[in-house]
Amino acid sequence: MLSQTLFSSVAATEEGGLAIGNIIFTAIVFIVLMALIKHYAWKPLSDVMAKRADKISNDISSAEKSRKDAEELAKKREVALSKSRDDANDIINNAKDSAQKQSEQIVSEARNDAQSVKASAQKDIEQERKDALANTKDDVANLSVEIASKIIQKELKSDDQKALIDSYIEGLGKQNAR
Amino acid sequence: MNEPVSTFKLFGLTFDIGNMVSLVVVAAIVFFFIFALSRKLQIKPTKKQNVLEMIVEYTNGLSTNSLSAKNAKPYGLYAFVLFVFLFISNQLGLFLEVAYNGVTYVKSPTSNPVVTMTLAVMALGLAHFAGVSKLGFKGYFSSTYLKPFKLWLPLNIFEEFANFLTLGLRLFGNIFAGELLLGMVSNLVVTHGVVMVIPGFILGMAWVGFSIFIGTIQSLVFVILTFVYISQKIQPEE
Repeated sequence: MLSQTLFSSVAATEEGGLAIGNIIFTAIVFIVLMALIKHYAWKPLSDVMAKRADKISNDISSAEKSRKDAEELAKKREVALSKSRDDANDIINNAKDSAQKQSEQIVSEARNDAQSVKASAQKDIEQERKDALANTKDDVANLSVEIASKIIQKELKSDDQKALIDSYIEGLGKQNAR
Repeated sequence: MNEPVSTFKLFGLTFDIGNMVSLVVVAAIVFFFIFALSRKLQIKPTKKQNVLEMIVEYTNGLSTNSLSAKNAKPYGLYAFVLFVFLFISNQLGLFLEVAYNGVTYVKSPTSNPVVTMTLAVMALGLAHFAGVSKLGFKGYFSSTYLKPFKLWLPLNIFEEFANFLTLGLRLFGNIFAGELLLGMVSNLVVTHGVVMVIPGFILGMAWVGFSIFIGTIQSLVFVILTFVYISQKIQPEE
């Protein structure tokens, strides 16, 4: 049955001529179809796929580049960070030193001031004491004189007084004579 | 089983109208299918484009199976069109069979041996052409016909004809048998009436499913063998 179909299809006509028309038509249809698909689908698709391949390879290389850049940047930052850390340490140390010095200076100044203040205060106190002592001496002298004069006033009578005055005057006269 | 055909003659050549209509229908389906898928191509593919690219990648894979990527590149379009064309051809007769006055006008074109043998001739012609253009006529001749030694010449010539016949007839036989059996199943229902409707339906469904599988495999086999032949012609065995 298969061979019959085969034969009849190949023979195609009662005259037994080979079905060359079919062969040519099949070939033409296939070739035209290929040409149409090449023009409308294959070429644009190949272009797009090639473009995509380009884009992907570009993307990969640019990603590689940016990765390197980022690495470099990170290294730089690391260096800068450690440098700034050192700087900060230096600054802190300097500040500590200067603060130490300053504080020592202030303390010594304050000590000096305090000593000088203390000294002058002692001097003043001494002076005061001396003054007070002198005043007291005077007061005591006056008081004793007053007390003495009061006592004397009470005991001296008027003639005694007269005699005393006379003795003074006499004394004065002696003084003048000399 | 001599099916009647309607033919006409032009320039002394005989044309089979049913065959022509089927071929044109298949070509139109293939073209519009691919055309629709290939609209608005983008670098970042959409759904349609993904489908198209999947088919292209698949057929490229078939060609690079037997050839190196560099050698396979010129045949990418051929592999793609051949595969899609054969696939649609093999399935068409399962879904659509238009007959008028006992003459079938629309069926699988590949159930006609003339069509499959024409495709086989084209495939082998391409293989031989590739061999000549790659190795030069001398290299082609000696690598194709005089290997492993000169005495093998008749066998090698015979082999070329065998390749041609098997390539064409394998496809034809598979598809023809599929349609034939489908026709017999439907005949069964028609002749036995209502009783056979349900078994006929189940049998028909099963057979259509199997035929779809066969048609797919056969279009695949045809493309793979084409590239095996091309690779034999352009890469002489050591």
